[in-house]
Amino acid sequence: MIESDPLTFITLTPLVVGLALLVLPYIAPASMADFTRKIARSFSMGIALAIFAITSALFLGQIGNIDWLDITQGQYVFQNESVILVESIGVRWVVGVDALSFPMVWLTAMLIPVSMLVEWDAKKGHIFHPLILIMEGALIGVFVVLDLFVFYVFWELTLIPMFFLILVWGGDDRRYASMKFFIYTFTASVLMLIGILVMYFNTGDASLAGTLTGHHFDLVSMTAQASGNGLIAGEGLRHFVWILLLIGFATKMPSVPVHTWLPDAHVQAPTAGSMLLAGVMLKMGAYGFLRIAVTIFPESTVVFTPLLILLGMASLVYGAIVCMGQTNLKRMVAYSSVSHMGLIFLGIATMQPLGIAGALFMMFAHGIISPLLFAVAGAFKHHYHTLEIGSMRGIAHHSPWLAGHMMLGWMASLGLPLLAGFVAEIAVMIAFWMTFGWLVILPALTLIITAVYYLTSMQRTIFEGGDPHVGVLPDTMHREEPRDITWHENAGMFVLVALTVLFGILPFIFWDMMSDWSTEFMLETLIHAMNSQGVKP
Amino acid sequence: MLTTEEMEYLLPEMVLVAGIILAVLVPNLGDSTFRIPLTRTRIPIFIGGTRFKTTSNPRIPARIAILAFFVAFVYSFLEIKTASGEVGGVIEITSFTRMMSFVFYGALLLAAIATTYRMPARPSARAPREKDSELRTEALISALMDNRRQVDFHILLMMVGLGMGLMAMASNLFFMFVAIELASLAAYILVAFHKEEEVGGEAGAKYFIVGSVASATGIYGMSLVYLWSGDLDFDALAASWAAMDGLDPFAVVGVGLMLVAFGFKVSAAPFHLATPDAYAGASSPVAGVLATASKAMGFVALFRVLIEITMPEEGEALWFVLLAIIAVVTMTWGNLAALTSENPKRMLAYSSVAHAGYMLAAIAAVGSGLGDSSTTELVLVAIVFHLTILVLFKLGAFLVLGILETEGRSHRLEDLHGLAQRDPLIAGSMFIFMLALAGVPPLSGFLSKLLMINGIVNISAGTGSTNADAIVPWAETVDPVFWLAMAIVLNSALSLFYYLRIGLVMFFEAPENAKPLRKTLHLRNTILVLTVLTVFFGIGSGAEYLLDLVETAVSAL
Repeated sequence: MIESDPLTFITLTPLVVGLALLVLPYIAPASMADFTRKIARSFSMGIALAIFAITSALFLGQIGNIDWLDITQGQYVFQNESVILVESIGVRWVVGVDALSFPMVWLTAMLIPVSMLVEWDAKKGHIFHPLILIMEGALIGVFVVLDLFVFYVFWELTLIPMFFLILVWGGDDRRYASMKFFIYTFTASVLMLIGILVMYFNTGDASLAGTLTGHHFDLVSMTAQASGNGLIAGEGLRHFVWILLLIGFATKMPSVPVHTWLPDAHVQAPTAGSMLLAGVMLKMGAYGFLRIAVTIFPESTVVFTPLLILLGMASLVYGAIVCMGQTNLKRMVAYSSVSHMGLIFLGIATMQPLGIAGALFMMFAHGIISPLLFAVAGAFKHHYHTLEIGSMRGIAHHSPWLAGHMMLGWMASLGLPLLAGFVAEIAVMIAFWMTFGWLVILPALTLIITAVYYLTSMQRTIFEGGDPHVGVLPDTMHREEPRDITWHENAGMFVLVALTVLFGILPFIFWDMMSDWSTEFMLETLIHAMNSQGVKP
Repeated sequence: MLTTEEMEYLLPEMVLVAGIILAVLVPNLGDSTFRIPLTRTRIPIFIGGTRFKTTSNPRIPARIAILAFFVAFVYSFLEIKTASGEVGGVIEITSFTRMMSFVFYGALLLAAIATTYRMPARPSARAPREKDSELRTEALISALMDNRRQVDFHILLMMVGLGMGLMAMASNLFFMFVAIELASLAAYILVAFHKEEEVGGEAGAKYFIVGSVASATGIYGMSLVYLWSGDLDFDALAASWAAMDGLDPFAVVGVGLMLVAFGFKVSAAPFHLATPDAYAGASSPVAGVLATASKAMGFVALFRVLIEITMPEEGEALWFVLLAIIAVVTMTWGNLAALTSENPKRMLAYSSVAHAGYMLAAIAAVGSGLGDSSTTELVLVAIVFHLTILVLFKLGAFLVLGILETEGRSHRLEDLHGLAQRDPLIAGSMFIFMLALAGVPPLSGFLSKLLMINGIVNISAGTGSTNADAIVPWAETVDPVFWLAMAIVLNSALSLFYYLRIGLVMFFEAPENAKPLRKTLHLRNTILVLTVLTVFFGIGSGAEYLLDLVETAVSAL
């Protein structure tokens, strides 16, 4: 199965194994239950590593031998023989990846073992790690599934393990945060569901259609139909559906003004939870937006470009300014995510291959860097029991490794050259300049604000201790001996640091396929839409 | 007299009648004899006297009921694809009727299983003696009452089943009303069954009074309809309605009054006001039956009147606007009220009001007359599918409360606190039921809600002007039915709050009483089976199979 249908394998295995590990202790006989509990943690890690190995093998060509630069628009590799799930309404199990989704799949497969490693000593590990494994299945499912019904199922499925991660392992205010998280994103996605349903009933491919309804959820066929003469007749309805989709995706991303669930969820979530939330779950929004809203309704995207710029700019500037006022480390990092996600909208709004590729690389780079930031913030909470910036100073003396990781992470996030974040930012900026000229000053100035809050927060925590040998320890330590991070935290962060540097120096590992995808997307889809709307490319 | 063939059509109902008779007879079997006058010969007549120990076992009535419901349930299920027949001019058996009786008997079967624990059955119950202490006397009396009431309860339960089964098969308005009353009267008593508790008696009385007013209104409406058409057969009524020139006041008022009666049965606003009280006062399995089977019964009646009789060939139905308004009010009211409920039973009651609103919205979309026959069928499939799977998770949720009820506690949110620590599997099941009620994929509640929304969108979204080049002009031209879909979606999001709250307190709050739950083997296993089915019918072959059944059923409507 791994050879013939790897994507189905890497989607379903974590789900099945995770669920089995969760349920078995309660229904198996006592000795078996104890055994299951004992191995749950290592077994989850083993599965996660195996899936990472398979995903890497897919990329490097050991399985399938794919030339990632040679995927034409609308074509998917590793596509399976579609399996009918619900025939009467035309639901199928179809999976496939292209240059848009594969980096995300790889990112997920990489982040899961890392986040497990960082929280290796989590309380109730026999539940915690299987939950993360379920999360992995759901997340990969979102990226590989090519049937909108199943896509929606996975989209919502990601909420449930995350809800429990926040609820059980979260901070003091976790009830509020988990409820807010669930309700916010659920509300947005049911609106998106209406959009999907309007699309659904306009589909016409009789060979895929459900017996009862005469329509189907197949994304590939929808895309093909859309590139012909538009999926939905009537521009008003098209725009309306596009807006509904935007609400769903922008809330997940999140963009101002629907971002308010994010800081709460992040601050309360356990470290692994925020790592996955920031690393992959936010990218679901951007991915869905590109895959569904932009691809199927390019004209509406062109028409609503000003809205995208507005949202992107608002997120970018507002996020950065709010960051400056934060005294809570995790909240600051959370708002910086809002700010960076704004760049994705800006990149798409440029309508340049470079801008879109920059947005794609932003998704990827942010997926490596922000988990590092959250791992650092989590380590602060773990070892210093506080997240208040300024309540601890000069801790580089006590925790040199933590300080090192923090420094690199912070630098990567503010866009230091040779680190992964820089590539994405510069690409978006150049594209923005090419399209909008000197307006680029606005986002560029925001990057300065970014530098300000990152540098200040760093200076006020790891440096500036007064007495170089003691520093200022927060009151929450209660005379506990300050320690450095544990080996597993260190190992997890080290992987992320290494990747940040690797993709900063050699971005073309993924950049080439992304830029290839966006160029072709531009030529095949967006150009026509822009012509038809009378916008000069 | 019924012919053999007709007996075969009505086998499930026959089994229920036999069950009722058995439930009366068996516990009363004894060694009494009859002395033939003027002789010394005594003939044993087996009724009365000292009762046999085996047959007077108080578990017997529950077993009879479970067996009867099980046979009826399985037979209905097997007959769904093939059923067709006609008995006595008032009963017509189709796939649809068997589908609905499958739902009814399934729900009642579960209630019968659950009730074994609600009323503990102790064969050793004896009358208190004088030397017994006060406390002991009280305990003995309650045990004794439970023993006797075991019989009553299950007879009533089978009566409800009989009424519902016959109701689904009725092809005549009058017969349908009689069957509904048979089911309802038995249900009123079931609600008030725990008369020693104040809340039980109050709930029963309230439910009975409001219910009988609703029935009286309905019967009055029916008499007006009879005045107008001179016939109460559905086919004849449909024909007269279609042939009606303009609007006949008798017909319109009659149908309107009947809608009040059925609106009460499905607990549509503003006729829902007795619902939360009734559910809160009834025992959990009974409340579960009211929320699933009884509601399905109301919807069958609505189908008959709205879709079969008064739905015109083309164009808008008379009741379209009214029903759409009622639907939106019902779902919003239900959800808002559920948000503020601190009693889990009341919360589930309001949630069932909200679900009625969703289904009414779907019927209203059919009434808009915008769809063709295939889209209409799609919407009806969605509603029947929803009614079917509602038995899984709505009744499942009530059964979880039923477990708590064996401890005498299930009327406060606090009673659910820390359930996850006391029994993780039951708490997990409850959480899954809640998510299914909220319509979170991939659970079965999602598919049915999706089908309903899909039906509405399908019917209405194409009505907007295709020339509109922006959202506002399009929104001005789209048929208002489209916004019903929006109303459902926003309400689902609203409802998530209280469903999640249940999950939250189960997993998060410390239990007031950390003891493990009472051992209720059958009930617990039933809940677990329902959980598995809730997931199984969510997506994939299970859902496909069930949809296929429902489709067969609806095409026979």
